[in-house]
Amino acid sequence: MTLLKMEEITKVFPGVRANDGVTFDLQAGEIHALVGENGAGKTTLMNILYGLYKPDSGTIYLRDKPIIIKNPRDAINQGIGMVHQHFMLVPVFSVLENIVLGKETHTAGVLQFQKPSEEIEAIMQANGLFVDLNARVEDIPVGLQQRVEILKILYRGAETLVFDEPTAVLTPQEVDDLFKTFRMMKEQGKGIIFISHKLDEVLALADRITVIRRGKVVQTLERKEATKPLIAELMVGKPVLLKVEKKPPSPGRVVLEVKDLTMTSAQGHRILDNISLNVRAGEIYGIAGVEGNGQTELIRAIAYKTKLESGDVLLEGDSILHWDVRTRRENGIGHIPEDRRRYGLLLPFSLADNLVLGQHHREPFVKGPQWVDSARVRSYARETIKAYDVRTPSEMTPANALSGGNQQKAIIAREMNFEPIVLVAAQPTRGVDIGATEFVYQQLIAARDKGKAVLLISADLDEILSLSDRIGVMFKGKIIHEFSQGEATKEKVGLYMTGEKESA
Amino acid sequence: MRKIKIDKYHIYELFSPLLGVLAAIIVLLIIGVAVGENPAATLKAIYKFTMSTSGRLATVFSVAIPLFISGLAVSIAFRAGVFNIGVEGQYFIGGLVGALAGIYLPLPRIIHIPVVAICAMLGGALWALIPAMLKIGKGVHEVITTIMFNNIALALANYLVNGPLSGRGEVSLEAQTHHIRETAQFGKLNHWFRALGWNIPNHVFMDYSLIIAIIMGILVWLLLFRLRYGFEIRAVGTSTDVSEYAGIRVKRIQLGAFLTSGAIAGLIGLQEIFAIRGFYTYEIAAGLGFDGIAIALIGRNSPLGVIFSSILFAFLTQAGYGLQLYTSVPLAITFVISGVMILFIVVINEIVTRYIRAQRKKEAA
Repeated sequence: MTLLKMEEITKVFPGVRANDGVTFDLQAGEIHALVGENGAGKTTLMNILYGLYKPDSGTIYLRDKPIIIKNPRDAINQGIGMVHQHFMLVPVFSVLENIVLGKETHTAGVLQFQKPSEEIEAIMQANGLFVDLNARVEDIPVGLQQRVEILKILYRGAETLVFDEPTAVLTPQEVDDLFKTFRMMKEQGKGIIFISHKLDEVLALADRITVIRRGKVVQTLERKEATKPLIAELMVGKPVLLKVEKKPPSPGRVVLEVKDLTMTSAQGHRILDNISLNVRAGEIYGIAGVEGNGQTELIRAIAYKTKLESGDVLLEGDSILHWDVRTRRENGIGHIPEDRRRYGLLLPFSLADNLVLGQHHREPFVKGPQWVDSARVRSYARETIKAYDVRTPSEMTPANALSGGNQQKAIIAREMNFEPIVLVAAQPTRGVDIGATEFVYQQLIAARDKGKAVLLISADLDEILSLSDRIGVMFKGKIIHEFSQGEATKEKVGLYMTGEKESA
Repeated sequence: MRKIKIDKYHIYELFSPLLGVLAAIIVLLIIGVAVGENPAATLKAIYKFTMSTSGRLATVFSVAIPLFISGLAVSIAFRAGVFNIGVEGQYFIGGLVGALAGIYLPLPRIIHIPVVAICAMLGGALWALIPAMLKIGKGVHEVITTIMFNNIALALANYLVNGPLSGRGEVSLEAQTHHIRETAQFGKLNHWFRALGWNIPNHVFMDYSLIIAIIMGILVWLLLFRLRYGFEIRAVGTSTDVSEYAGIRVKRIQLGAFLTSGAIAGLIGLQEIFAIRGFYTYEIAAGLGFDGIAIALIGRNSPLGVIFSSILFAFLTQAGYGLQLYTSVPLAITFVISGVMILFIVVINEIVTRYIRAQRKKEAA
């Protein structure tokens, strides 16, 4: 049975046809993957379905009846639910409170929790989504928060569920659990639209795969006819090299040394536990690990001035712990931040300003002690934009006008162009499309080949495995195992990541 | 091609406040009708009191001078993400310190006037220092401390003028300081304008404070848009996270911007003290610091925008007097109108900004 059909949907923003006659359908009991590069029009299409945008033309049918969705409330009433990439939860509320929020049961204005919690328990049981209903949302890990989001929409009776890159924030184990839930929901006859950049997941899960490029549906594939190279080719319109090509490394001296770092959180948790590692010039040292095992704090200890209990960080033999960020940058520590929108770019500022950020305070961008040489900044920016192929109307375009992939390109261009000695790259491909991912990989390998020490931290195990020359697995604040190049496989690393193996 | 497009957006940005003004004027006329005043009479009253003679028009600009300085002071702190609500107190203290230099330092005119200006700036900065350090060092919110410091400043001025610094009896029996020396008093520039063909009558105060305002406007513009320090101020005001990531010393920048704001605030009262009164009293016009907040907001924290918004505010003030004199629109309503106008301007600004951002995004896509 056709649960949902979007027919000939067109949405034009001035200058762009975001959706151009898109036809898309979803069967009951089907997982339908929607793939495409950033900016291809997936999000626009889903926002139309969810009532956030009004299509210029086209019709949405629900169980063969045409419907009009004016706003998210309509969508929810029609049984359409969406799990956004960024969760919409109230951190200080309990799980239960978050789930019932907006659909509260009350008698004479007094909230009732007994009946809802029984209903929710039943939903949890049916879909394998177990969460402690009394826990506060801010205290539970991201994977569980996502379950709360799913429970929220199931509690509202959703039949059509849209997931916008749900696995981006999850550990491999959590991904498996999520997929189990997907299959259970599928068996109940629900329809699932699954947006993802990770082709492995798409292939593992989807019944059909629709590829969108430049606002148009390129093709809808049945699972059995789909292969990874085929999808990738349809997405970008040309074959892409998914396999990372790199020369064998020629590591030099140790450039970055982390020695016995220990750090305890305000709540008394050991976040970094006597961690030690070293990175050589000309190698990529990858840190694999489930997020929240101290990676963020390790990055901060290297790139920022952080309070630590004990231990030391050495750059070419000098302790850098008492250096502030500026001194660290001046002495060759480059950093691609985990969250580019929060840390990486001054969004309202021009691309040119952003491309010099971090070295903006010194020659050649400043003449004398204070005078900003804007002509120089602009010409430098133009060269950088050209060299790194950042797509922008001009160097004076504000950073917030660029697409996610181009923003990331700009950050990488900036950090690379400063010629750092050590490059700390945190989640460098998170949320960027295949084209930009390829670019990031090339740049990291180029940095390595130029003799820079690259420390790569990523939640994407494939990325770690294909780029790193050495891999350290981080678990509960320490490196519990180090793999040399070649001996690491997904399975082996995975065992250490989950703490099943704990020998050093 | 590229240039033209950027200019197009600039024009949108420039015109959006005018739309707000227009909308507010319509509201004013409606209110006028409601209290039984026909729109033509309302408009005529405004015109009469603000633009009918060169003296009226010049008065608007004269009134705008301290407002401009106030807007400038608030905006530089805003730019760094600091809410300096203490401009009010800072100009009371700045004015006092400047006045002391004007009363007690025997200096030749050519040095005396710059010295009083610098002393006023030091006074203002000094009054900002403690709230600034509390914010930077201890994280005490500056809105609370600066409001308290406003009250302290007023009380302090009151005490000093009545007590140790009192010059009561010299000219009048009001509480006030001794007279400011001849060499420190601000002369008028009216004859300059007359030479340029703008006949400003002698009773209008186009005095040296105009020069101070122009110099400060240029300096602040240079600071914000041409100097590295200003770049860092703007960066910190945009995102402390990104600034920290980029190695900008966030606290130092915020401290500096706070003190700079206080220093500029110190200059607000100079026109009244040195040109109009010739002595200091705690009765100098209050509330200019708070006006500065709205002025900075409407002027989008840029010196050019603040020129526009301070003149607009001065115009509103004068228009209010006009309405009070010539129509039955109560003065309170004119305050309502300024409020409505600010609201319209802010909202329309926001819409235009979003529109431009969306357009830019499409261009880049």
